[in-house]
Amino acid sequence: MSEQTTRQTPAEKQDDASPVGTGSPSPEDIAESTPPPPLDWMDKTLQWGVRVKPGKKGLTVNSINVGIYGEVPEYWEEQTRMPRGAYPAGGVPPIGYSLRYKYEMWADNAADLYEEAVQRRWIPATDVPWESIPPQPDDVQAAMCQLCTELSQQANVEIESIGYWMPQMSYGYHEVKLYLATEMMDAARHCEVFRKRALINGGGLGLESVGGVNRMILESRGGWSETSLFLHLLRGTFTMTLYRYGEAFATNPADKFIFRHCLQDKARHLAYGMAHLRYAITHGPDKALVFQRLLAVAEAVLARDLNDPVLSESLAVIFGGGLEGAKAGMGTVRRLMGDFVGQYLRYAEQLGISRGDSLSGGLAKFL
Amino acid sequence: MTTFAESMKTVESYAEDFELDLAWFDKRGEWGNEVIPGRHGLTLEDIQVGAYGDVPDQSDNMTGRPRGAVPRPDAFRVGSYVVRTKSDIWLANAAMLYEEALQRQWSSATDIPWHTIKPLPDDIERAECQLATFLTEVEFVAADVPGRWIANTTPDYFEPRMFLISQIMDEARHLDVFRKRALANGGGLMQRPSVATTSGIVGGIDMSRDFTEMSARLHISGEGGVLTMFRMGEMMSYNQAEERIYRLAAQDESRHVAFGVMHLRYLSEMAPERMEEVHTYLDEGERGLLGGAAAAVGGVSVSQNPAARDTLSNDALAILLGGGKDHFDEGHKKLLAIRHRQVKEYVQRIRSAGFGERFENGRANAELMMIAQS
Repeated sequence: MSEQTTRQTPAEKQDDASPVGTGSPSPEDIAESTPPPPLDWMDKTLQWGVRVKPGKKGLTVNSINVGIYGEVPEYWEEQTRMPRGAYPAGGVPPIGYSLRYKYEMWADNAADLYEEAVQRRWIPATDVPWESIPPQPDDVQAAMCQLCTELSQQANVEIESIGYWMPQMSYGYHEVKLYLATEMMDAARHCEVFRKRALINGGGLGLESVGGVNRMILESRGGWSETSLFLHLLRGTFTMTLYRYGEAFATNPADKFIFRHCLQDKARHLAYGMAHLRYAITHGPDKALVFQRLLAVAEAVLARDLNDPVLSESLAVIFGGGLEGAKAGMGTVRRLMGDFVGQYLRYAEQLGISRGDSLSGGLAKFL
Repeated sequence: MTTFAESMKTVESYAEDFELDLAWFDKRGEWGNEVIPGRHGLTLEDIQVGAYGDVPDQSDNMTGRPRGAVPRPDAFRVGSYVVRTKSDIWLANAAMLYEEALQRQWSSATDIPWHTIKPLPDDIERAECQLATFLTEVEFVAADVPGRWIANTTPDYFEPRMFLISQIMDEARHLDVFRKRALANGGGLMQRPSVATTSGIVGGIDMSRDFTEMSARLHISGEGGVLTMFRMGEMMSYNQAEERIYRLAAQDESRHVAFGVMHLRYLSEMAPERMEEVHTYLDEGERGLLGGAAAAVGGVSVSQNPAARDTLSNDALAILLGGGKDHFDEGHKKLLAIRHRQVKEYVQRIRSAGFGERFENGRANAELMMIAQS
């Protein structure tokens, strides 16, 4: 006997314990006593018989990309939320998605990164061992709070930037939209955790960001790829370096936990950014040259931001363990900047947009 | 412990000795508040201390600085925020809802017992897949649209923004889990909704030019109806995987609906001059809650309700609830009962939000009132 015939149907369950009851007919009941509909939709499918089994990572987004459901077109005609692979229906007014070419957003790793992000979620409120932060000298506390203010604002820029672009991306590339939802969630968590870190220990927030790179990211309106260039390749590499040093110089388990987890998240953001930029360069028209030109400007903007002493001096105080160690700490800051610029150059090289010969002088000085 | 005055003396001395600026050192927001993690950890509510908990009624923050940070006079005006009035987006419990959302995240890949899905009769599987197709399409409207509003809202109101981000994450998971369900059991996607469920038409969620209008459509009218249906998910589940999907999705949706209700409540208390306008959105939403194509704005339904009349998902639900297409009538009766419950819950929510007068003064949709009173 098959399972279908032995299983209790939902109708039977309903008879056992109905939360709604069927009672006497309502006015709507009477109004709707019409013949059953033709159910002609029951044959409307473009591909039937798909049975995807969960693998060792469960049932992932990539694993269901089978048959026509895994065919990702280079251009998505549909201007509504029709799911990729669904049977179309005409006459639905368009919403107006502006990003419709695959190369404008695609990354081959987006679906895997989405699943990874879901698995690696963490919770600032309860996962960070907040009680492990000891009282700190005023100078160290002030420097840490200044750094946290900067990092919280950087995360906010990421939120606003993705919030602007994601709704413009066509539904046919849902893997990217799913992934960007996780990046926004990560950024929200970063925005939150650094605010909490600034306020937990008798401190407060410091000066707002100098904002040149923030402005460049938010005012990038030419396309998502161009924004990703600033947000992921340039700012992302810088922020990731800050997180790496933050973890290395953390003096208590809470700070170590925060920076380590933010670093893990940021590495995913970079992984998407790199994969997307590579895809854009290899599939989009003229992208390599456009990116080269944009980076020439972007590097100068970042260099101007770095000339502002607030971030570098607060880092120096943290790395030096206080004002007394700030001079030595400034040496560590220069090492950090050198690491950042070196990593940035390697990433650019990997993308085929080598910056070695034309790197902005403001960044080259750190090498 | 070093005092601030001692620090400043040292700062000045070190700044001179080492050619450092250090002017930032005394540029601080409010300092020295006591923040103590509570029994739910260190929540956003716990850090609403002193000036950091002061949310301005009007925000002049055009630079994107964190609330409570010290402004720079030369900062760029990069925040062209449309939402800078507190009553336009605020609610009492956004921070709590955000923290709850973080605690209750789940994974569609590993938290659903997919192995419990076994082959189903063809008509049942097709109905499952039709419903899953509908939900795959409509769920992400609640991600695309909040995304836009987050980018357009001042960070001074970061608590509701944070909640909306958690909603985007939830809806990503919903898109994903229903697509997976459609492709996990020998089926596939079916016909996309033939009505303009979430499309570009006046009265559609996407088109709203005001956050409260959007929220009334999305959180109250749209997600409210979906929530009732998810809560009844056991009635239309054929295995533990489907039961889990509906239960977890209902948990998420209930937070989204709570956001909408609480925002309307705040608005009704703080900006009563906008109540009449909100009633107009509710007028439109009520038509969408009840009907499909027949009860539409401009002849096209803007309903997100899978149980709305004259829709494919309505047919699919009747088949699932009845136990097969041969029991369509039985299923349809149960579906009517679900619609009845949708209406009852809607009325309760609107009353809770402070707009219950419409059910007393004859403003509410007549058919809706008949159902509510039956």
